[in-house]
Amino acid sequence: MTIEKVLGTPLVFAFLCLIPCSKRMTRVIFTAGAILAALGAWSFVFGVSGSPRVFAFGGNLMMDSLSAVFVLLITGVGVLSSAYAGGYLFRDGETAIPSVKLRRYAFFFHLFLFTMLLTVFSNNLGIMWIAIEGTTLASAFLVNTDDKKSSIEAAWKYLIICSVGISLAFFGVILAYYSAVARTAVGESGLLLNWTFLLENARQLDPKIIQLAFIFVLVGYGTKAGLAPFHSWLPDAHSQAPAPVSALLSGVLLSCAVLGILRFHILTTAATGSNFSGTLLVVFGVFSVMIAAPFILEQKDYKRMLAYSSVEHMGLAAVGLGFGSVIGIYGALLHIVNHAFTKSLLFFTTGHILYLFQTKEISQVKGIFRRSPFLGAIFFAATLAIAGMPPFNIFVSEFLILSAGFQAKKFVTCGILLVLLSLVFIGFLKHSNQMTFGESEKVPVKPKSLVMNGVLLVGMVLILMMGFYIPGPLQHLLQEASRVAAGGASL
Amino acid sequence: MTTETLASLIHFLGILLLISSFWILTSSQIRTSIRAYAAHSFFLALITGVIAIANHIEHLLISAILTFGLKAIVIPHVFFRMIRRLGIRKEVESYVNIPFTLLLAVLLVFVSFYVTRDGSFLKPVAFGECIPLAIATVFFGMLMMTTRKKAISQILGLLLIENGLFLMAVTMTFGMPLLVEMGIFFDLLVAVMIMGVFIFKIRDAFESIDTDEMTGLKG
Repeated sequence: MTIEKVLGTPLVFAFLCLIPCSKRMTRVIFTAGAILAALGAWSFVFGVSGSPRVFAFGGNLMMDSLSAVFVLLITGVGVLSSAYAGGYLFRDGETAIPSVKLRRYAFFFHLFLFTMLLTVFSNNLGIMWIAIEGTTLASAFLVNTDDKKSSIEAAWKYLIICSVGISLAFFGVILAYYSAVARTAVGESGLLLNWTFLLENARQLDPKIIQLAFIFVLVGYGTKAGLAPFHSWLPDAHSQAPAPVSALLSGVLLSCAVLGILRFHILTTAATGSNFSGTLLVVFGVFSVMIAAPFILEQKDYKRMLAYSSVEHMGLAAVGLGFGSVIGIYGALLHIVNHAFTKSLLFFTTGHILYLFQTKEISQVKGIFRRSPFLGAIFFAATLAIAGMPPFNIFVSEFLILSAGFQAKKFVTCGILLVLLSLVFIGFLKHSNQMTFGESEKVPVKPKSLVMNGVLLVGMVLILMMGFYIPGPLQHLLQEASRVAAGGASL
Repeated sequence: MTTETLASLIHFLGILLLISSFWILTSSQIRTSIRAYAAHSFFLALITGVIAIANHIEHLLISAILTFGLKAIVIPHVFFRMIRRLGIRKEVESYVNIPFTLLLAVLLVFVSFYVTRDGSFLKPVAFGECIPLAIATVFFGMLMMTTRKKAISQILGLLLIENGLFLMAVTMTFGMPLLVEMGIFFDLLVAVMIMGVFIFKIRDAFESIDTDEMTGLKG
């Protein structure tokens, strides 16, 4: 496998999905594409794990251990999401979606996977910008799958807010390029935007300009990552998108934008030799958790509750990255992995809940457990996991991030975070307790398809396992990645 | 061409660029705004072309031609078709009236010149006087996006921001590498088309393309 092949798979399948054929056939192509892309990507990532960097496309694309982690995430959540969407959107009956629309959905789904993979594979910061803008364009139609008034509103806000945000990030990219042009000999202009080149010559770059660039990138990609106060598009888009799309948006799209910030953070730290960018990350991270906590406590819509929880977790990841020590970065990366699987599982359960109760209001949903013990158990366990309860995976990474903070003697920051996290915990427990165990009359329901229940089961097993044991190769990859992010410091 | 005539040529084109961006902001009809945007893009392409020829930079010349083709011809054309199909006759609707918009715009120009005055650490490779113009254009785009009600004006604002950033890149670093520039043009075209599709969806769902009707999602 090569980078080109990994990237090519979703792109080819995007167009294959457009072939007019029966609904069943489209579904097979759609799911098979995601599975093939994942198999290819995983074999590629674990096949080259010996060499630190693999280049392609004249050095414009690159995979190091950092991008490898994100490739695993994108394709992994992609498989789960496509399997779930196979049951969720390709349904029969009176609510069936016409097959022309399904083909378009499948097309944009694979295109979305492609743009996200391109984002994490980019070495050229300009191409990374193009790919991140591409993720917005490819996913806008996915957000608007329902074609209702509210989903059109959400998709429009998503398009406009993220495009403006990303255009600010482009200013940061220009500044980074300028700092390289000003300091190096002419003639290498093709190389100058490459992250690896900039990092090697970081000492020669003007630290003031790089700092300015980082601020613009933080605001720009921060909009996409859902960091407060630029998160206003996020709850709308996440709540209006169909469940499998929300899972992708929350699970991996936000993380891709975090990778964009992280690349600039590494560069800024290397160029300035100070923790300027780290401090900014901590400030915005804590602020995000602070904004998210009251909205989770007082939320009336369960999908919006999960969306605000994404703001909270991206904030936590930013804090972990900002602390700068290898433990903090390792914790943050592990947190991104854990969040991706836990949150996508939760969004999949919202698909089931919406089907059972036909409402997104928390107060209207009572007694999931009585109606479907399987769904109730998984939903309750997953909310405990996302709230940071041991023995689930999120607890482990939150613990690592906080201990990095204590190690760095950031007691006030950690204190604030602990208070906020317990508020979030109370909020989740309050809502999910009522939703799962409240009084409800037993209504006979037709069970959802085997595949969709299977996806929930796989997700549940994953988050339980990650709480106790991180598989060796992944552990190794995460350690390598945090070493890259910490600027070569030894573990 | 001597350096002095070149500098005054760029200066002249810069003034035309600024005038056309004022024109976009203050025109009371969407059709006129789009024509003004086409003019803005045309002057942008000219400035880029002049800088490219004066410094013998081939890839910048290609971007200049692409800018002209895409932003001065194709995108305005797409807009005009969209307006015709939407049947918009009404003028631009704004939260802020035109004289006040003008006042704000003048203020923003002052701010742009002030933040890039001498002694700033930005020392562009070509014609520093374009930097405040670029920043002013970005500000104008943001002003447009925040004060206009029609969804179509918001797209125009976004395009104005993009023009400003393009000018920034041209004057600071002779543009981005060609590969990146191509990708940006492609993104821009796709963005305009996708937003165009959404405008029709908004019209069908909300029975108007005023974005202040969009108040359904809160909290």
